[in-house]
Order: sequence, then structure tokens, then C-alpha cells
Amino acid sequence: MNPITPIINGLKITLSHLFKKPVTLQYPTERPKVAQRFRGLHALNVSHNKAKCVACYLCPTVCPAKCITVEAGEDANHDKYAARYEIDMLRCIFCGYCVEACPVDAIRMTGEFELANYRRQDFVYSKERLLEKK
Amino acid sequence: MVNLTIDDKQVTAPKSATIYEAAKINGIKIPILCHDKKLKPFGACRMCLVEVEQMKGRQIPACTTPVTDGMIIRTSTPDIIKARKMVLELLLLNHPIDCPVCDKGGDCDLQNLTYEYQVNANRFSDEKFHHEIDYSNPLIERDMNRCVLCGKCARICDEIVSFGALTFISRGIETKIGCEFEGSLNCEFCGSCVSVCPVGSLLARPFKFKARFWALTNQKSVCSYCGTGCNLTLGVKDNKVLTTVYDENQGFHNGQLCCRGRFGYQFINSDKRLTTPLVRKGGALMEASWDEALELVATRLRGAGASAAALATPRLTNEELLLFKKLMEAAGSANYDHSAGYAHAALTKGFARSFGATASPSTILDIQKSDLLLVIKTDSYETHPVIGFEINMAVKNKGAKLNILSDKRGKLSKLPDAKTFVHTPGSEIAVINSLAKAILDEKLAAGSAVSIPGYADLEKALAGFTPDAVAVQSGLSAAAIKQLASDYAKAEKALIIFPVGNAYPGHNADMASAVANLALLTGKLGTEGSGVLCMAEKNNSQGAVDMGFYATSGLQAGQIMDGCASGAIKTLFLAGENPVVSYPNRAVVTTALDKVEFLVVSDLFMTETAAMADVVLPACSFAEKEGTFTSVDRRVQHIKPAIRKVGQSRTDFEIFSTLIAKLGGQAPAAPAAVFGEIAASAPGYAGMSYAALGETGAFAPVDITPAFVVPKTVAVEPAAGKLALVIGSVLYHNGTLSQFGEGPMYVCPEGYVELSRGDAAKLNVAENDLLNVTSAAGSTKLKARISSRMPEGVLFSPYHFGAAEINRVWSGAPVTWVTVTK
Ligand code: SF4
Ligand code: SF4
Ligand code: SF4
Ligand code: SF4
Ligand code: SF4
Ligand code: FES
Repeated sequence: MNPITPIINGLKITLSHLFKKPVTLQYPTERPKVAQRFRGLHALNVSHNKAKCVACYLCPTVCPAKCITVEAGEDANHDKYAARYEIDMLRCIFCGYCVEACPVDAIRMTGEFELANYRRQDFVYSKERLLEKK
Repeated sequence: MVNLTIDDKQVTAPKSATIYEAAKINGIKIPILCHDKKLKPFGACRMCLVEVEQMKGRQIPACTTPVTDGMIIRTSTPDIIKARKMVLELLLLNHPIDCPVCDKGGDCDLQNLTYEYQVNANRFSDEKFHHEIDYSNPLIERDMNRCVLCGKCARICDEIVSFGALTFISRGIETKIGCEFEGSLNCEFCGSCVSVCPVGSLLARPFKFKARFWALTNQKSVCSYCGTGCNLTLGVKDNKVLTTVYDENQGFHNGQLCCRGRFGYQFINSDKRLTTPLVRKGGALMEASWDEALELVATRLRGAGASAAALATPRLTNEELLLFKKLMEAAGSANYDHSAGYAHAALTKGFARSFGATASPSTILDIQKSDLLLVIKTDSYETHPVIGFEINMAVKNKGAKLNILSDKRGKLSKLPDAKTFVHTPGSEIAVINSLAKAILDEKLAAGSAVSIPGYADLEKALAGFTPDAVAVQSGLSAAAIKQLASDYAKAEKALIIFPVGNAYPGHNADMASAVANLALLTGKLGTEGSGVLCMAEKNNSQGAVDMGFYATSGLQAGQIMDGCASGAIKTLFLAGENPVVSYPNRAVVTTALDKVEFLVVSDLFMTETAAMADVVLPACSFAEKEGTFTSVDRRVQHIKPAIRKVGQSRTDFEIFSTLIAKLGGQAPAAPAAVFGEIAASAPGYAGMSYAALGETGAFAPVDITPAFVVPKTVAVEPAAGKLALVIGSVLYHNGTLSQFGEGPMYVCPEGYVELSRGDAAKLNVAENDLLNVTSAAGSTKLKARISSRMPEGVLFSPYHFGAAEINRVWSGAPVTWVTVTK
């Protein structure tokens, strides 16, 4: 092959981009639209005014990063509920296994990706924080 | 052995085996739901269907069908799989699919089988059950909606526990498991039913929702309550013991436990555990460093000589007890005891002189091999419940005769054909002597007896114990005594079982000798199923005796207390003992502990005794340490840590080692090394190795040199107008430790005084009335409990409760005479 050809091919690509609209988003003024199936921060689903989670311990079991802590409690009707539900986002690898494992559709992943923070403990999402999410 | 073919494999099996068992021995798995190896075959669920060619290929249940020679069996043909699937579909028809919230999820036979047989849909449809769930007691939750009617719970409660709290009620589609009159569960809460339930119908409430089965780490251990030495499996998560896990292959008892073993583990992780050393400063106990606390103790012990004394709980490991002894030797004192002075004299003194050994010659395994069991005190069921199960099984399954000699009736008295001989309190030794006398008179003694040393003296001494003479003082008829004697002497194999403990003042060295005489006279010793089994109270009482942790040249427990009071003992080290509650005569004990200059207590909790100490050392529970325990029948078993140490607590082993080092001695580095010393020096432990103990432990053999000893009897004079108070153990408790186990405390939370219906009527007392119980020693207030098992004129009260203060009344005499007022 002519040794010049690859260089010309490369220059062609560069040239074509000169006339295209840039893909760079002017974050934070411009914001991306994440796909439906994007795996961002978790949220606990609500039904009848309380978290749907029945504390079955399946998500902490399936979680490969072992970042979910569930502690079950017994309510006044002797029913099981998640007295504590916590995800350590510093460990989470956003694999979405927890969502798949949940037998009662209690946990989902939102499009939220802006998770930067200053202190380590701010990355520990308690039940209350996970419920706040829409 | 029979030859048969299972799934085209030529196999052999014992003649008595069922198809299921034959398959199991040969590594072929047949699914089961209603079968349990401990229970009699039932055949209710049809999960175990197999095809047998000789039966025209019909499907028959493997768990109830015995094998025959030449049988050709297929366990998983397409037809069988279809049938099993249908069984599951039918079960799941009314079964709520609650798995996410059901505590059994992950450990459920129904769930596992549904998964295995891929029952993903149901061809049938019906309504789910709507039975009310029983939340009424704090230990066992009953959700009959999940029940598969396997009947295991009802069967184990009947066949092994012999309580019979559960049964099938109603018929057809309405059938369910219930209690009498469909009421709530009110039983002895041994949890056996929970352990065998294959589904989530019966659940242990203390463990409810705590964790999934798969998240638990299982650590095998040995129960730290009574001397039966039951093996148990601790379920651990996040450094907490969350439950006990049932393992049907564990121990001689196949995983059976009593209420304390099953539900009494909470003390391990209790918030009340001591976590830092405390030193008394300016009158109050203040937190201190280990160094400061131990230095203080070492200073007191250094060269203390006979002014120091030690009492240990027989819950310490053998290794710890041996180190404790070394520590006292380093301090120059021979004053140490494990309350043997009160409780275990039967072993240390009685057996020593009658058998030349300080252990029972028989084992728990002898119970099922015996023809006749002579049980002294029905309490043997309450003190050692799992031995009670063994007795029950011997009576029901093996046809053993059961004779009971006791001052009250108990659960054993209810077993089929059990004969109970109720004597007046305090006359037990006289009665046993009269049995020996009757055996001699009726010429039922074995020929070999004459050659045993002491025969002539005994014969002479027994002259006064004719059945007629003893009948008067014991309240038994002479005929009954003669009957008891001839039953015992004529049985081919007969075993005498009796419990001893802190609160059994009558059960002393003399009673042990009296019992030994019976066995020696009739030659019922040294053969399988015959002999004497003395059941010491705590998990390592026998170990404490074997380690020689009792007064030989120094002072006994009672004398140590006197020494403290008189000022002769200046430093007292209590390891895990709580004498304020458990020793007789509380006033004397508290005065002694008040008087002693320096009191050191190592314990798990701030007990009544620890609160009086100058230095309190936080010790570890059995779940945090390693070492060995020896059961009543000298099974030496190994425990390993299940969790890390709580707070700053240290094992007694570490505490004693550090102190020995501070006193200039050298302590072995690890329990394994100490066990090496034990194996070299303790009688019967020779040749044992720490590593080889494994999961099953090892039996320390007992060598006997028999001799007849004349037992002393004390005449117990009835006091006019007074009632006889006997103290003892209750089923749910053991020592004072079980007060910190929430399970037992739910069922039996406080002390009480039990009296007969007759006495209650005479005194105009109703259940739960508060009574003043007064003796010459003192008085206390206790709730009344009225029962039909008490003979008139006799009261019973458990001794475990700190708040009940029964030892203000109970002075340590065989019988305490009391008055009762409202
Ligand atoms: S899997 Fe679902 S129900 Fe189970 S603990 Fe997780 S969020 Fe809760
Ligand atoms: S009993 Fe078994 S199958 Fe039934 S809900 Fe519980 S775990 Fe599921
Ligand atoms: S806990 Fe024990 S006594 Fe009570 S029902 Fe169950 S098996 Fe029977
Ligand atoms: S409660 Fe459990 S053990 Fe009892 S019959 Fe039902 S499924 Fe069987
Ligand atoms: S207390 Fe005794 S009988 Fe009960 S489980 Fe423990 S060792 Fe066994
Ligand atoms: S296991 Fe055989 S019928 Fe249930």
C-alpha cells in the first residue's frame, strides 16, 4: 500500500469534522439527555406511601460490590419492612443487578449521574435519601 | 443385608432399611418433605414416590416401604417426576408465595423442590388459606397458611419431646396443625418443632427477619448451659450470634436442644455485657485499663498465701480451670473450689470413695440400652432436658421401665407406665438405704457383692433401714419400697440417674454412696445399659472435677465464705461465680463479700456479686474462646471462637496467663498447650489430643475400684405447722447465666413458689398471689404457682433469680422449713 494513503485517509476524517456540529456539551449550562436504560443513582420505589422494599435481602446478596446494607424490621402488623437500607456509592459499580434481583420492583436506577461530593460519608445513601428521588 | 437394584445400580442395604434409607446409604437422593430420620415413618406428603418393578411398577412412598431382597427400584422416571411435580403444584395451590418476606426463604424444602422440579406454573387454581397467624408468644411464630401438613412438628413434640402441644385438627381441606382448642402455643418452648418444619410455618421469633440463611456463618460449638454437653451450631453474622442453627447430624442427640440451648444464646451479644475493666475508686467502680486492673490484682495475690482464695464457675473451659489453679498455686494458696463444697460433693467425695473415681461410670448412651431406669428426682428432666428426651425415647421406643423416686412429680412421671414414688423431702438417702436393705433381705444381691470391701459393715449398718422402718419417715409404703427394690434388682440392665447441683443440698456425697451401694450390691455396673449416671449441673462441672479444681488440701466454697467473714481470707477471686444469688444463705454470703478486703470478679455481666467487687474484669463468653468442656458422662468436646471478643473483654485464659506472668510464673501460651498437660496428667484424659478431638469429642474412660461405704443419713424432723421448701432448677434456666438469655426469660421471667392445690386451698392462696415465705434464715416475697405435681406440705422454688432472693430463706439444709403467709 502507498505509504501516503493512510495519512490522507486520516486527514479526510479530520477535514470532515471541521464542517460538523461539535459534540461537546457546554456542561453545566448544557445538560445531556441520558438514555432510558442509563444506570445512574438508585431510587427506592414507593407504594401506599411507603417504600416498596420488603427487605428480602436479595439485592445485598446479589450485589457483586457488596455495597448494599439492608436490615429488616417488624412493623406493628408483624410485617417485614426495611428498617435500614443503605448503598455505599463509593463501592457501587452500577451493574444494576440489584434492580434485576428485586422480586417486588422496589428499587430502580435513575438518570442521575452527578454524584460528586466532598466527604466520603456523603456517598452513603440512606433509605431516606434514596426515597427522595423521583 | 439385602441386595437390590436402585436406578440400575446393584446395591446392598440393611434388612431394616426403608427404600429411602437404602437409597441414601448408597448415595442416591430421593426428595422428601414429611420424613425425618429421628421420627417414625409417616408417609404423608408423597414426595418420595418411587417405582418398584415387583409391585407392577406402581408408585409407592420410599420413606415408609421396607426393602426386600431383589427389589428393583427406579427413583426418577418421567412418570415419577410428573407425579412429584403434581404434588408440588397441589401444595402450592393454597400456599402463599411469600418467599421474599418469609424467613425460611433460602432454607425451605418447598422452595428448593419447587426450584428443582421447575414448577413454574400451576395447572390448578384455588383460594389461598386465611388462617390467623399466632404471634402470641415471643419465641415461636405459627403461620399455618404456609404449612404443608407434614406433621413433623406434631410428631417430634410427641415422640421425642413428649409434650404433645401440637396436633392435626379439623379434616379434609380444613386440616391444619393447631394447639388444644385452637388456642395459642403454650409449651416448653424447646423449639424442636421449629427446627424440623420444612417450610416457614414455624419460625423462631428472636431470629425473625434478622438475616437470610445463606448470609450466616455457621460455627459448631457446645452448649454452655447444662452438663448434657449438647452440640450446637451458632449462626453468626456481623460478629453477632443471631441464632442457633439446627443440624440433625450433630451430637448423640441429633441436633435436639432444649429451650436454653435453642433460645438462650442472646447473652453472648447482650448490650449488658461488660466491656472494660472496672476498678473501685472512692467507693464507685470506674473504668480502668487492663494494665491497671491486672496490676492491682497481681499486687494483692503476690505472696498472699492462704489469705487468698478463688471460686470459679464450672462454665470455664478445662484449660482455664487448670490455669486458674496454677494462678492460685503461684499466689501460694490451695483455697480454690468450683462450689463443689456445696454441689458436687457427690462426685468428688461420694464417687471417689465408692468407685475410686470422680466420674460417673455410665454414659448418656446407656439410657437407650437399659431395661430399667431409676431416676432420682424427676428434676433430671428439668436440669438436663435433652437427657429427658433420651429417657422418653428409651421408655417409648425401647420399652425401658421407668421408676422415679422424688420429692415431687414432674414431666417424667407422665411417661407411659412410669411409676413415681414420692417421698418426703430429705428422706431420699434413707429410702435408697432401705432399697439396699430390701435387696439383701430378699436375697437379690449379686454373688460378687460379698467380695467387695466394706460389705460386712454395710450389711450391719443397713439393719436399721428395713422397708417398714423407712416407710414411716419417708411417706412411702413398705410394699412400695420392696417393689422398687425388686424391680431394680431383677431388671437385667438397670441404670440409676440423678442430678446434682448447687441447689440440691440433699444430693451429696452420701447420696452418691447410697446409690453406688445399690449398683454394687446388684452387680449392675460396668456393663452396657447398667450403672450410675450422676448429672452435674453446669456445662463443665465434670471438667472442673477432672481438673481437680476443688478443695483437696485447702478450704471448700463454704469455708471460703466463712474465711472471708472472719477476716482469714483477705483476697477473693471469683471467676464467673455469682454466689450472692446461687449460694445458700444470702445474708451470710453478702456479709462475707462485704468483709473481704479485696474482691476480684471476672464475669460477662455486672452481676449482684460483681457489683460488690473492687476490681471487675470483663470476661468472654464461650462463643469467643477456644478450649474444651467435659460433659456429665465425660465426653470431652472442643469449642472454637464463633465471634470476635466483645468490647475489650478478654478470655479467662488470657486473664489468668497475664496474672501468672505478673507473679513471675510462666503460663502456657495457648489452650492447646494446656490441653497437652491435661492429657498428660488428668485421669482418663491420657492419650487424648486437642487436634484429634474433632467435632465428636472423645470419651474419658472411668476406671473403678468399688467399695461399699455406709452413707450417713440425717433425720429430717418435720416442724409442726411448717412446710418443707425444696430448691432446684427449672426447665428453662441453668445457674444464673440464663437470666441474661432473653429466650428463657420470656418463658420464665421470675422466681416463684410452687405449692399443691391442697395447700393452696388451706392457705387460701390463688395463682400469682404474692406470698411471704419465711424460714429461720430470713424471708422473701414470691408469687404463688399452684400445681398438681406437688405433694401436700411441700413447696418448690427455683433458685436462679437474683430478684427473687430465695436464698434469703434457703439456708443450705436438705430441707428448709418455712411458713407461708399472704
Ligand atoms: S431486592 Fe428489593 S425487596 Fe429485596 S431488599 Fe432489595 S430492594 Fe428490598
Ligand atoms: S415456606 Fe418456603 S415456599 Fe413458602 S413462602 Fe416461605 S420460603 Fe416461600
Ligand atoms: S417448642 Fe417444643 S414443646 Fe413446644 S410445640 Fe414445639 S416441640 Fe413441642
Ligand atoms: S407446621 Fe411445619 S412441621 Fe408442622 S406440619 Fe406444618 S409444615 Fe410440617
Ligand atoms: S441446656 Fe443442656 S440440655 Fe439444653 S441444649 Fe444445652 S446442653 Fe443441651
Ligand atoms: S417423604 Fe415419603 S411420603 Fe413424605
